[in-house]
Amino acid sequence: MLAGLRFLLHKDLTLERRGGRVVLELCVLSLLVLVVLAIAYGPEAGGRPASAAGALWVALILSGLPAASLAVAAEHENDCIKGLRLSPLEPSTIYVAKVAGVGLSMAVSEAALLLLLVLFFNLQFDTNLLRLIPILLLGALGLAALSTLLGTTTSRLRAGEMLLALLAAPLYVPELIAGIKASTAVLGGSGLTAVLLPLKILAACDLLFVTCGYLLFEYLAP
Amino acid sequence: MNIALAEALNLSVMFGLRSVLAEVNLRLERGHLALITGANGAGKSTLVHALCGLIGPSAGQVRMFGQDVRRLQAQDRRRVGVMLHRSMLYRNLTPRENLEFYAKLNGCERASEDAARWLERMGLSAVGDQRARELSRGMEQRLAIARALIGEPELILFDEPFASLDPQGTALVVDLLQERLARGAAVLVTSHETVALKDAEMESYRLNSGRLLPAGAEANRRIVWRWMLS
Repeated sequence: MLAGLRFLLHKDLTLERRGGRVVLELCVLSLLVLVVLAIAYGPEAGGRPASAAGALWVALILSGLPAASLAVAAEHENDCIKGLRLSPLEPSTIYVAKVAGVGLSMAVSEAALLLLLVLFFNLQFDTNLLRLIPILLLGALGLAALSTLLGTTTSRLRAGEMLLALLAAPLYVPELIAGIKASTAVLGGSGLTAVLLPLKILAACDLLFVTCGYLLFEYLAP
Repeated sequence: MNIALAEALNLSVMFGLRSVLAEVNLRLERGHLALITGANGAGKSTLVHALCGLIGPSAGQVRMFGQDVRRLQAQDRRRVGVMLHRSMLYRNLTPRENLEFYAKLNGCERASEDAARWLERMGLSAVGDQRARELSRGMEQRLAIARALIGEPELILFDEPFASLDPQGTALVVDLLQERLARGAAVLVTSHETVALKDAEMESYRLNSGRLLPAGAEANRRIVWRWMLS
């Protein structure tokens, strides 16, 4: 499984490097969302953890869903997904590789997102930002796992991207709430031990989404 | 009696209420070629999809290497080479990278050498490092055939392999298939035209509205060497 995972990830990263649009779309959409929210909140939002955390997670979900959909749809070009399904790879390996690829793209864009957040919401470059990293990584993993699983089905449909958002957003709500609560607390100066419950919720949701994807991908992919 | 590498037993496929394949029975044995002809929409592609397990049967069964095709183990999937209507190639990878990628997935230990060998065999060495999206349709078809054969499969399922190929390309593919047949592979080829392989044990079928009928001895005698005529 590990060898297959490595080949698939290498292929995905090569494709992304050669004009893939996933990271670009993630960054552009995140920037747009942050700009709009920064204007909407006005100058008084500067330094308010709740506003910054809300904006961060709205940007994550609004950019993450279309980007994941794009990543999954890339496998349907030329029916490449059928080539993978016909290969000796287990379907679960294909799923895990796709989640890892999407998750990695999200992690890269989250780094850019954090920088933009500091800029637009007048935050300090301090350890609070570092404490956000595990929260954001857990959130990205959950979103990648969920959107890859659902995107596998919806990307073959005409209104697939919209359908993906309709299906994934409600399922992602528990992670969204936990993520915003944890991020708000951390940006307000709390340590990670103070946000253990939201972190546990994030980890539990991730586990649930990844397990469901691991088991169901075989039946959802063509 | 030879052992069938693949067989369809009363295979029926329905898309909604429309019957696409109806009670198809087919055996693919070592060293044998099954040529399936039929008009557009006759169900040839659906048959290949069902045989390789990409479409589940509405009724009946597809068995490969003695097992249900949908429960095929990884080591058995490695023994099957499939070419479908679309090339299954990554357009932003080069032909070399595409072949190396699929060779690695198939467990080839010398993927780079295999890829180089197949590029040369298919006459694609000169374009081996261009992006696949820059290839002509015929070149893409040659690459798709190399992709399907790079794992040295024992069972070959080709959907319209001669489409978009020039006479040299057709002759090349015919040679490749003859070579595989001589080594004991079982081959299924669908085509809207008839084509023949020298010295091959060939069975011709005609797919008509989802029903598979033997083309008959008379039809076999009338089969032409397409590339010789052209």
